[in-house]
Amino acid sequence: MKTLTNNLRLFWQGALLSYVALFHWMRPIQYMASKILMPLAQMFFFVYLGTFATSADNRTFYIVGNALQIAAVSGIYGMTMSIGGDRDNGTLGYIFGTPANRLVVFMGRAFMNIMDGALGVVIAFTWGVVLMGLDLSNTSIPALALTILITTISTCGLGLLMGCLALITVNVMFVNNFVYFMLLIFSGANIPIAQLPAWIQAISYVLPLTRGIAAARLLVGGAGLLEVTPLLLGELAVGFVYFLVGYILFTVFEVVAKRRGTLDVF
Amino acid sequence: MQSTTMNAIEVSHLRRTFSSQIGVIKRTAKEVVAVDDVSFRIEEGELFGLLGPNGAGKTTTVKMLTTLLIPTGGSASVKGFDVVAWADEVRKRIGFIFGGERGLYWRLSGIDNLRYFASLYGIDPDVTKKRIPFLLDMVGLNGRGDEKVQGYSRGMKQRLHVARTLLHEPDVLFLDEPTLGLDPVGAREFRQVILNLQSEKKTILLTTHYMFEADALCDRIAIINHGSIIAIDTPGGLKTHVRDLNVVEVETFGIPDGIVEKLRALPFADSLSVEDQGQKQMLLIQTSRGAEAVPDVMSALEGLKVGRVIVREPTLEDAYVRLVGGKA
Repeated sequence: MKTLTNNLRLFWQGALLSYVALFHWMRPIQYMASKILMPLAQMFFFVYLGTFATSADNRTFYIVGNALQIAAVSGIYGMTMSIGGDRDNGTLGYIFGTPANRLVVFMGRAFMNIMDGALGVVIAFTWGVVLMGLDLSNTSIPALALTILITTISTCGLGLLMGCLALITVNVMFVNNFVYFMLLIFSGANIPIAQLPAWIQAISYVLPLTRGIAAARLLVGGAGLLEVTPLLLGELAVGFVYFLVGYILFTVFEVVAKRRGTLDVF
Repeated sequence: MQSTTMNAIEVSHLRRTFSSQIGVIKRTAKEVVAVDDVSFRIEEGELFGLLGPNGAGKTTTVKMLTTLLIPTGGSASVKGFDVVAWADEVRKRIGFIFGGERGLYWRLSGIDNLRYFASLYGIDPDVTKKRIPFLLDMVGLNGRGDEKVQGYSRGMKQRLHVARTLLHEPDVLFLDEPTLGLDPVGAREFRQVILNLQSEKKTILLTTHYMFEADALCDRIAIINHGSIIAIDTPGGLKTHVRDLNVVEVETFGIPDGIVEKLRALPFADSLSVEDQGQKQMLLIQTSRGAEAVPDVMSALEGLKVGRVIVREPTLEDAYVRLVGGKA
């Protein structure tokens, strides 16, 4: 019981304090740029490019796809920074020098990124409605909110896996950028999955976001929660697998980092 | 699991190598030995110094003892627990500080830093509430705990590190160059903190480059060079290595090329080191001839602007210089 209480406290304190301590976007101007302007720029770019290249009728397709894809900003970059930031601060060694449960420490950090990522998606949808004419009159808002939450969770699972790389390499940002831009295509945010080559489709369905985006498009088109439940369960399962693999890799990479002496290289 | 020994730290034939890659296209692995066959024991409540030049293996040794680095060979235990097999048990019993300003969350206040680390050690919130003000007071940060760490001076950060490392009341402390970069007053205050910890019967392993600091604080000292221990003794015992010598100190202003080599070649110069002190340099020549060596030294320095010349008894630093080779 005492261990459970300690771990709950560690979860919350780790979530709140490490978010303030490490999240570089916490400064108002940087936060606004990343949370408000960056989603707007991405949506403008792909919505106008997509509708120009295809048809104005496809506007909703691009708005919903890119609004959900914004979850990857917190999911990929935020999660990686949660681990890489400790390394840059020189605090990673001090954390690994404590007997704290690593799973609890880093799940606490994932929690704040999930909340932050979901907020980012909500802001992106707001831009879609206010500036780009996205019609949500036929949409079940609670179901869409659940979809946003589940998709952000699964994306953070991939982020945890990416964050593990920060334990053994200092150049994780290169990989982050690659994955972020790969998701723009492979998740179906900007190209219908069915039009992608078969081998890319195979990759699409083992990535987070793919099913979440598909579910959101159905919901915006008027579908109910029951109709998208299989997609949401699939998205949740993908996220769970990434969290599991991420955690296993985290424990493995901690040992690797201690063997290679890379824990506090910065 | 736990041995019945009274030693707080036992290190036996510890070895650590690192491999690095050389070349861009054709990459070849190169193995560097950082710690080689190091053995020592530290008793409960002892303040033990680990001295050595840069790259000698001090920090690598401390990292292995604090479970942050896995040894390549040999073994080590803290409070009877092997640092690899029982790493979590070791972590509960140790605290450690690495010199420098890193290792704190600068955007958080001092108190929030301590709160976070208290939760990492699983300390009860009621205990944390009482212990944080006590520790801030102990390290002289009373009234500054609410400020963000980014506004702290280097000395304040180091003292916050001490408070952090004492949160869970560890029995064994590893202080790796804790006074690095502190101003003289800050360093003196920090040494007093170390003495206070020693009076509380904490076992302390201290690494430092400052010989007077090691001389003043340590019960015993190990000197490590090129990854190997070359001497372990009390500060007084180490000084006996240079008991037969005196030190001629010569203050000079601008040493031209070749002079140091010329002095080293003098038959009575046991070892020689040069301390750069801005516009002047201090030549330290260890010799068994004492004051009789001065005329020959001055002759070798002919034509050079020379200031103060003194002959003195050897210190721990002189013993250190002799043991590590006197090439400083």
